[in-house]
Amino acid sequence: MNCREARRYFGAYWDDELTQAEREWLEGHFAACADCRRGYDEHARVLELAASLPRHEPETGFTERVLARARRAAPAPDRVPSASPAWLPVTAAAAALLLVGTLAVPWLLPRRDMPRAPVATLATPAPDAVPQAASAPSGPADAPGAPAASGAAPTDLAAVPDSLFDHSASVEFILDPVPLRRGRPQAPSPALPVQAERAVISF
Amino acid sequence: MARAAEDDERAFSELVRRYQGRVLNLISRVLNDREASDDLAQEVFVRVFVHRRNYRRGSRFSTWLFTIAANLAKNEIRRRVRRRNWFSLDALTEALKDSAIQLADPAEGRESLMEREQLQEAMGRAIATVPEKYRLSLVLRDIEGLPYEEIAQVLGIPGGTVRSRINRARSMLKRKLQPLLRREGTP
Repeated sequence: MNCREARRYFGAYWDDELTQAEREWLEGHFAACADCRRGYDEHARVLELAASLPRHEPETGFTERVLARARRAAPAPDRVPSASPAWLPVTAAAAALLLVGTLAVPWLLPRRDMPRAPVATLATPAPDAVPQAASAPSGPADAPGAPAASGAAPTDLAAVPDSLFDHSASVEFILDPVPLRRGRPQAPSPALPVQAERAVISF
Repeated sequence: MARAAEDDERAFSELVRRYQGRVLNLISRVLNDREASDDLAQEVFVRVFVHRRNYRRGSRFSTWLFTIAANLAKNEIRRRVRRRNWFSLDALTEALKDSAIQLADPAEGRESLMEREQLQEAMGRAIATVPEKYRLSLVLRDIEGLPYEEIAQVLGIPGGTVRSRINRARSMLKRKLQPLLRREGTP
């Protein structure tokens, strides 16, 4: 081995990572070679100096500053008040109830396939009554459909579905523009067309 | 660290107290800038706190901590190099020349010439001029005293690369400081 190889061992010798044989050889070489001995002394001196550099200690309050910055950087969920306002869950629950109620009403109310007879009796005569109504004598007291409607109204009206919710009923009210006059209302004309499930009401 | 990861603030404070000196020293030796090091060391612990749930319990906390510190220090060095030639060789040469002149002043006694403080200051400057990838290995090994295996984990490089980098860094440091050391050794 020569000086070049000896210098390659300097680092491992400093770190105490040489084998026994390598260490003995290097130490023998140091005894014989003043240049390598001095070279290693400088090497060791540099590393001693590096290791002996004064340690920089943090200033007072370092930990507190770190904690403050850490809290700002990532607030812990269990230490920061909830960002959602208190009324939000209540409002959400009310909205959910309203939605459920809206969806449930059609199921609770009479279904589409329920008979619409009460509706028909309100203003529409039965199909077989139409000819009679059409041929009935005109007159305020004998208005077509009036006796039937007045007689059945108390019981039939109770069975009338609320049209606000039951839109399945295909009853259509066509309201003709009627000039309002002072005095008694005019009797509806018996000649008005009446069709099934459609009533034309004149005031 | 396990307690800190579960949002135990007292445990986190204890971690900061325990490691703040080592982190600060590592960064300040790598940057050779005491003022900036304090802020960067704080940032290291903030990163630890923010990413505390990413810490793998099987690994050593110090390794994870030094990895964060080394990465932040590297970023800071690169940022400074981009801005200006902060660690220029010319600046070091001038600095060492000044130190050498002061140390070699024949009007004063040898003991006062070689005041340890001045030599340490020169050493700090010399370390700061070693290229970044060698400097980090050098500081972790010869100042912080980490074993080679841990340095390899911190820097994410093989153990053999760590050894060769440290050897090269030591040689660079020795060359830079040789004039001072020779003067010191001269009777």
